[in-house]
Amino acid sequence: MENVGSLALILGLCLAAYSVVASVAGAVRKKPFLIKSGERAAYAVWFLVTVASALLVYALVAGDFRLAYVAGHSNRAMPAFLKFAAWWGGQEGSLLFWSFILASYSAVVVFTNRRKHRRIMPYVTAVLMTTQAFFLLLNTIVAPPFQVLAVGQGVTSVPDGRGLNPLLQYWAMIIHPPMLYLGYVGFVVPFAFAIGSLITREPGDAWIHTTRRWSLVTWLFQGAGILLGAAWAYAVLGWGGYWGWDPVENASLLPWLTGTAFLHSVMMQEKKGMMKVWNMVLISATFFLCIFGTFLTRSGVVSSVHAFAQSPIGKYFVTFLALGIAATVYLILDRLDYLKTEARLESVISRESSFMFNNLILLGSCFAVLWGTLFPVLSEAVTGEKISVGAPFFNRINIPIGLFLLFLTGVGPLFAWRRTSWESLKRNFAWPIAAAVVPVAALLLGGVRNAYALMSFGLCMFVAWTIAAEFFKGSRAISAKSGRNLLASMVELTHRNTRRYGGYIVHMGIVFMFIGFTGAAFNRDTTAEVNIGDTIRLGHYELRVADLQQGENDNYVWHRAVIEASKAGEPLGVLQPERRLYKASEQGTSEVSIRRRLNEDLYLNYAGMSDDNKRAVVQAYVFPLVGWIWIGSITLFLGTLVCLVPNKVRLEYPRTEIVGVAGPYAAVDK
Amino acid sequence: MRRLTNSLAILLLAIACLGQSGSPLASEHVRRIGNQLMCLCGCGSTLTSCNMLHCHFADPARARIAEMLAAGKTDTEIIDSFVQQHGKRILLQPPKEGFYLVGWIMPFVGLALGLLVVWKVVQYFRRRPAVATRLAEDAVLRKYRERIDSDLETME
Repeated sequence: MENVGSLALILGLCLAAYSVVASVAGAVRKKPFLIKSGERAAYAVWFLVTVASALLVYALVAGDFRLAYVAGHSNRAMPAFLKFAAWWGGQEGSLLFWSFILASYSAVVVFTNRRKHRRIMPYVTAVLMTTQAFFLLLNTIVAPPFQVLAVGQGVTSVPDGRGLNPLLQYWAMIIHPPMLYLGYVGFVVPFAFAIGSLITREPGDAWIHTTRRWSLVTWLFQGAGILLGAAWAYAVLGWGGYWGWDPVENASLLPWLTGTAFLHSVMMQEKKGMMKVWNMVLISATFFLCIFGTFLTRSGVVSSVHAFAQSPIGKYFVTFLALGIAATVYLILDRLDYLKTEARLESVISRESSFMFNNLILLGSCFAVLWGTLFPVLSEAVTGEKISVGAPFFNRINIPIGLFLLFLTGVGPLFAWRRTSWESLKRNFAWPIAAAVVPVAALLLGGVRNAYALMSFGLCMFVAWTIAAEFFKGSRAISAKSGRNLLASMVELTHRNTRRYGGYIVHMGIVFMFIGFTGAAFNRDTTAEVNIGDTIRLGHYELRVADLQQGENDNYVWHRAVIEASKAGEPLGVLQPERRLYKASEQGTSEVSIRRRLNEDLYLNYAGMSDDNKRAVVQAYVFPLVGWIWIGSITLFLGTLVCLVPNKVRLEYPRTEIVGVAGPYAAVDK
Repeated sequence: MRRLTNSLAILLLAIACLGQSGSPLASEHVRRIGNQLMCLCGCGSTLTSCNMLHCHFADPARARIAEMLAAGKTDTEIIDSFVQQHGKRILLQPPKEGFYLVGWIMPFVGLALGLLVVWKVVQYFRRRPAVATRLAEDAVLRKYRERIDSDLETME
């Protein structure tokens, strides 16, 4: 079985390389049969990678402990779905998973475009298969998943495996990596189309129209992956944090930030024919940041709780990144004339310039995160001493940037395309500003003095008002015309321009998330050593320890505290935080107990036993507004889905087209 | 019998492991200082939030903070002693001195440079020569144009 798997990967690598050569040669020499052959090779690669993946999954589920990967990441006691998830639980398997997703995406792209974009498709196939060949090279040479355990010359096996890392044995953690990978890998598709369009100097914005849904879906997967990771950290790590600015978390955020900038700036290209070079740069940066993120997770260049074991894989990634970036930069510089802007900017106060500032802030944030992530490496190179760059650094830099971005989210819809008059500015800004001032004043009167929190709440109200006003104005107009009620008109309005109103729903999700982030300014916590009958007090809460229990099952041993929570004498229910020790790996995990409410979460963690082994150490936290992060995540998810729904009415954007240059510039422009 | 013995051994081991020392964390002061220092076990958390069972770094470090507090040391003295022993990497953020200042300043320098670039781009786009333009022929316009053409053709 392991031989078939390895052979499939080697054949896959050869066919991917062949596909690159055949596609490019076919395009250059205008030989359709070569192009077709390159595309068929892409299908064959998918088949071979699928066979290899199926064999590894079978080995994991069946418990074939002759394979080193299975012995290292699975065991008999694990439930079947966790055995399946072990596919992406380790270095070798997750790289194969990467290859599988890429092969699947490539097959879908080649199939859906078999009669479209015939000029650029050979190059699209070539870019996809180059990336595929790189990952299959890793699968065959650096991190082969089908290595068997051996003693001397003979194959051996172990009676049971080590099992999946207990921290990963959680539902969100099962979905989180595939989501992230779907995001990481997906950005290769718009990148491939961009490069194809660049090489062939394809006129128009076909690559943007074709890949709009790909980009959006990929962005959604990436975002969902990040947020599921946050949900996992919150529910599993035991200290209530959802984002620790860990290098690998940062690595997943970087392409998401540039991807967000890309989704905004493509609108400038579609509607105004502007920022063509910038869009090329953005999609290329997003793709290379995805590869960079994968490199950070696997190379051990920065220490991270997420990182896989250190391996010589880093130099392969560095080479691929260096060659890829050099080729892309060359292509963009060589074809600058093809990327000429078609329009001019009429006013600084316009939707166009707000998009530019939005891009600047997103990129600024991306740079700050990248800088902070790599600064320990830089500092070690310069001073010889490695330092840590933790959450306080990132928070200090990114909080003001984030607040400014939130401000732009509100301001954008208030600006018109081309230019905005002062009169309309005053008219549009009056109510949102009033909406922002009222809660800030109320909070100030209520004794809140945290400047960032006040600004954040004010801006959240400002943005929420502008979004609500956009929906209200539009649906009122439809309602007046059609006589339908406001809600039906709002649905109609959204359906008429799903991209715009779906985008507003996404912005509303971001507002909800900022409300949740801001709640962190008011967190409270306490830790206590308790026995049965003891009471912990935290804020308004009284937590009485009703029982301390312990037990075991096949997979782990557990200790549990049964705690009755009440508020001002009113019982709120029972919370049961638990501590587990997994037998196979001898690793412990916390199973926190959370009472989730919109205003605040009560969060209990069983931290362990006291020195004398007689009392339980319980950590209690109150996290105000944290639930809004998850509500915001769902809203963001729904908003993106709305963006993907086709418009009820096909919208045409009349674009200006350059037909000549007037006056003294005519000669210069020629 | 052997299985029972194994199970008992695992249970005892588990109880011993789960019975990790959590005492220093019960002190608000220890937690506050621990939140300013990095756990160097590789978890990426602070000394307070490291959740590793029997962490070889966090457990003794928390105990040491508690001891130093009991001995009357100030927060700064405790943090300095950790820095002396483990280097600056134990701090949660780069110190604001010497080369490390670059770490703090660069994100804002990057943002300022970006702002400058955006401003220049805006200026460039605004100064672009006035071009003679016409509306690109979209589907709606084309429909009307065709209608006019056909109407004109059928006209006497």
